[in-house]
Amino acid sequence: MAGQGQAGLSSGFPALDAELPGSGWPRGALTELIPAHSGIGELALLQPALLECVKQAPVAVLAPPYRPHAPAWAASLPLERMLWIEASGKEVAWAAECLLDSGALGALLVWLPAQTDARALRRLQLAAEGHAAPAFVFRSLQTLRQASPAPLRLALSGSALGVQVRILKRRGPPCERLLCLPVERPVAQTRLAARLTPVPVLHVLQAAWA
Amino acid sequence: MLWLCLRFPALPLEVFPPSESASVVMAQQRVVCANPAAEAAGIRPGMRLAAALGLAPGLQVLARQAPREAELLYTLACWAEGFTPQVSLAPADELLLEIGGCLRLFGGLEVLRDKALGELQAQGLSVVASVAPTPLGAQWLARAADTAPCLSLLDLPARLANLPLAVLGDLSVATLRTLTTLGVRALGDLFALPAAGLRRRFGRELPQWLAQACGELPDPRPAFVFPAQFAQRLELPAKVADASMLQFAARRLLASLAGWLAARSAGVSECVLQLEHEDGLPPTDVRLAFAAPTAELARLERVLRERLAHCRLQAQVWRLCLIASSPEALNARTLGLFGQEAALALAPVIERLRARLGQDAVQGLSTCADHRPECASRRLNEATPADPVLADPRQPRWLLASPQALSEREGVPQYGGHLMRLAGPARIESGWWQQGESNGAGDVQRDYFVAATPHGEWLWIFRDARGWWLQGVFA
Repeated sequence: MAGQGQAGLSSGFPALDAELPGSGWPRGALTELIPAHSGIGELALLQPALLECVKQAPVAVLAPPYRPHAPAWAASLPLERMLWIEASGKEVAWAAECLLDSGALGALLVWLPAQTDARALRRLQLAAEGHAAPAFVFRSLQTLRQASPAPLRLALSGSALGVQVRILKRRGPPCERLLCLPVERPVAQTRLAARLTPVPVLHVLQAAWA
Repeated sequence: MLWLCLRFPALPLEVFPPSESASVVMAQQRVVCANPAAEAAGIRPGMRLAAALGLAPGLQVLARQAPREAELLYTLACWAEGFTPQVSLAPADELLLEIGGCLRLFGGLEVLRDKALGELQAQGLSVVASVAPTPLGAQWLARAADTAPCLSLLDLPARLANLPLAVLGDLSVATLRTLTTLGVRALGDLFALPAAGLRRRFGRELPQWLAQACGELPDPRPAFVFPAQFAQRLELPAKVADASMLQFAARRLLASLAGWLAARSAGVSECVLQLEHEDGLPPTDVRLAFAAPTAELARLERVLRERLAHCRLQAQVWRLCLIASSPEALNARTLGLFGQEAALALAPVIERLRARLGQDAVQGLSTCADHRPECASRRLNEATPADPVLADPRQPRWLLASPQALSEREGVPQYGGHLMRLAGPARIESGWWQQGESNGAGDVQRDYFVAATPHGEWLWIFRDARGWWLQGVFA
């Protein structure tokens, strides 16, 4: 996939880069991320790329689903180069468009409400074009089967070994493989994997909490 | 010395809202100023009203509002301060700017003049700009609509010689008639007459003007005294019920503010546009806030447009008042959110977002020295580096707005199934002295765990005396 299109921004995961056109997250385009649940490592997946982006220009986080916890963010990204924006309803897409249009961001992270329509997404895609910054758009699970103008769409799910990534849409041939990426976690992953095999048995769980 | 004279020939008309149909401003039963549609019908300034109405029966006749013209000229003088500190009012419709000292700053006469004309046009004003080494010379050229700049005192008499007598303006009708019978048609003919004779016949003013215009006599002009605090009013030509209609009128005030600020190398991070209502209602304040102090007209306007679009008027507005009470110096460290680089690129978008979503909707985040997770983050108007000591990679990026109670089954906490313990316990304890705090966290004794659900979600949960609680999500 490496030869296709504009050079992307390396995701920091060679297995993922190999499947992405431009060998990384697309710049100047929307990347849709559809996590099955929150807390599966969906931000940890973006961490290596964000660390690169924030060096170029401030990173904006728009309409996040929870309150940001500063000590954890401070451990992964320079807070002085991050911008937090609260918005709801239709204002989210409007604010995202303003931010992308300015071209002044290193990256945008936005959680779009479920009712955001394809027209609004197309406007976002247009606003993102021509700039160097990637735009990561988190969408709810119910939009999984909807058509979208974003050139790259990923479905994410949790697993014992990291984040499982299924590429729903990309420029070029479809990707059938399911990728499992070892994202950074607060506790070493091996510990979870060890506990999960073969199937967690109740008495093992009980013993752990006792 | 080089003087730029800005003459606003249509000022009496331009204090009223622009109109497509024929309209004239009238004073003492005579036409003072006619708009293009009226001029197309053959109406000229000086015409009797009855004659004008005969030419255009549907003519809109406006009574002249001299105080409003003076107010607008004052506003324009403030705006002109953005170009030069030496500005002089020449009522009723001229401004004089001494630009000899600031040409270099702006990169030449052409650039400066184009910038000034562009900004005035954006305010909906028609203007004639003339340049001459003497103020009176510049005024006369402007009155004759001669816009080719005259840069040298030596060229000036020749340039003025061709101008008609009408540029003298203050001449009485009798004097004008006498001069015409003498065969004097242009200023050049006046220059040819001996000054002593002119003085004897027409008083000492006329030869004095001629000498001043040519730079042979000094022509001191009272300098415009700029207000120390910016508070300007602008009466609207008609009462306005729709907030979005105010943008155009407010632009003149904003341009004036921008000039006033530029002259002080200052910017504002906040200013207030008061919309004044009649019938003793309190004025509606429209607060304009900026991410970093600014003196840039485009940014002032953009934020105003956003604010007006979301402003509902409770009553009609008849007057605007723009107040900037705390200008800040622009040169020093006034970086605001994200510092210099982003102050340039990102500040306009931050302002737009703040204008629509609220001042607190766009913020920076920093850590706070408190062990209780709900108190460990702090929202700031400026982005500041976090204390590295307080950074903790073992804590989750997201917190719930308030901890959510979890059930327990067979000794195992539940969240979409059995939770699995990955790490913990880690004890967080605060002291009794925090018990009465207003932020709701109070005194806590909690054991924190990292737990995973069967779906692979990583959660931050704690146990206290009341049971299990979900507080964070490791995204």
